[in-house]
Amino acid sequence: MAEKIFKDSFDALVIGGGIAGGEAALNLANNGFRVILVEKDLSIGGKMIHLSKVFPTLDCSACITTPKVSEISRHPSITILTGSEVKKIVKRGKNDFEAMVIKHPRYVREEDCTGCQLCEQACPVVVNDQYQYDMVGRKAAYIPFSIASPRVAAIDIENCTLCGACEKACPTKCIDFTQEATEYQLSLRSVIIATGFNLFDPLKIERFGYGKMKNVITSMQMERLLAPTRPYNTVLRPGDGKMPCRLAYVLCTGSRDITVGNPICSQICCMYSIKQAQLLMGALPMADVTIYYINIRSFGKGFEEFYDQAKGMGVNFVKGKIGMISEKEDGDLILRYEDINDNVVKEASHDMVILSVGVVSNPDNAAFFDSGQLRLDPFEFVCQTDLLASPARTSIGGVFVAGTASGPMDIPDSILSAGAASSEAMSYIIRK
Amino acid sequence: MAAADTMFGESLKEFGAFDFNACYNCGTCTAVCSLSDEQNSFPREMVRFSVLGLRDDIHSSVKPWLCYYCGQCSTHCPQDAKPAELMMSLRRYLTSVYDWTGLGRKLYTSKAWEFGSIAILALLILVLFLFLHGPMTTELTDQGGVKLNTFAPWKQVEIGDWIMAGMLSFFLLSNIFNMYLKIVRKNKGLKIPIKLWFTELYNLIVHFATQKQFSKCDTLGTGKKFTFSSYWIIHWFLMSSYVIMFIMIVFFLGWFQTDNIYHWTHPQRLFGYYATAGLLTGVVWFFVARFRKSDEKSKHSHITDWTFLVLLFLTTVTGILVQIFRINGMPYPTYYTYVIHLMVLFPMLMIEVPFSKWSHLAYRPFAIYFDRVVQAAKKIK
Repeated sequence: MAEKIFKDSFDALVIGGGIAGGEAALNLANNGFRVILVEKDLSIGGKMIHLSKVFPTLDCSACITTPKVSEISRHPSITILTGSEVKKIVKRGKNDFEAMVIKHPRYVREEDCTGCQLCEQACPVVVNDQYQYDMVGRKAAYIPFSIASPRVAAIDIENCTLCGACEKACPTKCIDFTQEATEYQLSLRSVIIATGFNLFDPLKIERFGYGKMKNVITSMQMERLLAPTRPYNTVLRPGDGKMPCRLAYVLCTGSRDITVGNPICSQICCMYSIKQAQLLMGALPMADVTIYYINIRSFGKGFEEFYDQAKGMGVNFVKGKIGMISEKEDGDLILRYEDINDNVVKEASHDMVILSVGVVSNPDNAAFFDSGQLRLDPFEFVCQTDLLASPARTSIGGVFVAGTASGPMDIPDSILSAGAASSEAMSYIIRK
Repeated sequence: MAAADTMFGESLKEFGAFDFNACYNCGTCTAVCSLSDEQNSFPREMVRFSVLGLRDDIHSSVKPWLCYYCGQCSTHCPQDAKPAELMMSLRRYLTSVYDWTGLGRKLYTSKAWEFGSIAILALLILVLFLFLHGPMTTELTDQGGVKLNTFAPWKQVEIGDWIMAGMLSFFLLSNIFNMYLKIVRKNKGLKIPIKLWFTELYNLIVHFATQKQFSKCDTLGTGKKFTFSSYWIIHWFLMSSYVIMFIMIVFFLGWFQTDNIYHWTHPQRLFGYYATAGLLTGVVWFFVARFRKSDEKSKHSHITDWTFLVLLFLTTVTGILVQIFRINGMPYPTYYTYVIHLMVLFPMLMIEVPFSKWSHLAYRPFAIYFDRVVQAAKKIK
């Protein structure tokens, strides 16, 4: 299907350009190894680049991610393929892998694009912006987001009407509708899987009204509303643009819940909800923020103090999981729950509800190798075969796992795990 | 301070409960329950009591009787702790707790007791008939019907009827009194004005007759106060049929068990048709539901649920057959079926009404009645 075929060899293939994959690639490259980083999305940076701030330090997330991202992009030993997918990996022997990667056409010559956004202005097609989690629109010819790397345009061919307006507007004539997929045949000595996680899809819990009630949003949407590159430039509720003043967090949406097939704790929701609550206290000084929880799991370094800080700031913590959400005519929401401390069922009115969605595995992992070779755990995360002694090791020698591909974890743990994976990969490569 | 009794859960499992220890106290069950309100929030509290084995709190609670098992809590329980089935098991358990004779517990937890008592009671009827039955005449009435009252004169049967009704009332009423002691008298120091027992009495009657709480089951999110689900309709049809039949055989046996063959528009036949239709429809409906496990409430069947349905089905079918054989002038089939009919009917009523499943007919409205009285008394205070 691909017209052009490139062949090349590298010391390591890193699958996934999020914070874990990026960190692993940097470690390898800084130690003199040649790395190819394959990212499915149009930009590297993963989910972290879209976040507002990080817990428990409240540092700006983009301010940590972007320098790292540009370091990765400029590194002479790292080759980045964005908009690309690993189709197949075969282990031929020790230190000897063969991988097939497809780079999907972007319909823009990356090297010529200056990111001037004139194509964006010219494009007449407006669709939902997936990088703002569908809260605003974008064009079919677009720069993914302002801090994307590479910051070059792409054509969303699914929605493009092929009107040619962008081609005319482009000053460097870099838009090329004739682009086709490119195949890369890679010879490798090790592989690091850093495919990350997916967010739980709250449409699966109808009781919470997501998708039907406009003022019920996910925590990732709230993350965007709070980020410096936010869509409305302030926190507004999507239903009518009102500034919310009674916000509620529904913890454990899609985590610790057998009915949706995810009985495990997602490990990050308590803390990111507490973080967002603190940020909301700053963004909306008059607002009341209530967090409905089963248990607050503030287990990491500095987490308990962070939780106490939120309570000190006036965030309201209520023990009891939300059972059902219904909508009033004015778009406000009624949350029904049992107050566990009082043993009484209660209803509370809020004008905006944030579902703290959990972490689920990325189904891509299973498809890289021939069936069954890469062992997965019961929740379809990559199985760590020697969890205690060698946490980055997988069921295939020379294939290592970094970050949330192996299970839910927060950013510091992802970076630690990337360090482990890259060191294990290096010793594997050197050992010969 | 109550002491936790971790073994209590094991004994509750004999009444059908599942692994309710899996509960992590999120309260989803209570929040999705349409019948939970600020006065009475359940089922999580009952799960908690059961986990801790707080018998006194369970014995004095009306909450199990306020649940009509829509199954929403079990469907949405994130730990699959099956709170709805726990509530069902607690109802079975409470039935055995109110029963001071201890028979209820044996019947629920031992198959030997359950089937043994059915057999003994059936044999008793058989023996009574062997010795006391009237002549088995093949002579027919002028209308061509069997002379059933010659074989089993209604006046004699009625004596047995009254003895049975007396025993049923004695056991059931004493159990209800026991329930009163546990639920109402538990509130030590609470003064209940006598007047309240009368002013709140309408609750007992209304809830017995309409089972309107049942129709509120699973209405959350629909915006409606009541939904007349097929479950409610069928259950009400069954309940009213049973009540009519019970009244006819206990109070109007001479009128009901007649040798006359009336026109089909005669009330004797109309009531009979209504009641048998109700009993048959109900029994078949619940049979099919339990067999197909079509919804949450039919998924888990205790052995006593099946026994109840089988006995009720056999009673109804033999009752219909007696009528058919009698009208069509078939003496021997009529006599034999009549004996079998009573051999099923007697154990069913004796076991189910005071000691087992059927007692919920009384316990549910009484629970609401007691609860309203106590709530009203507390308000005065």
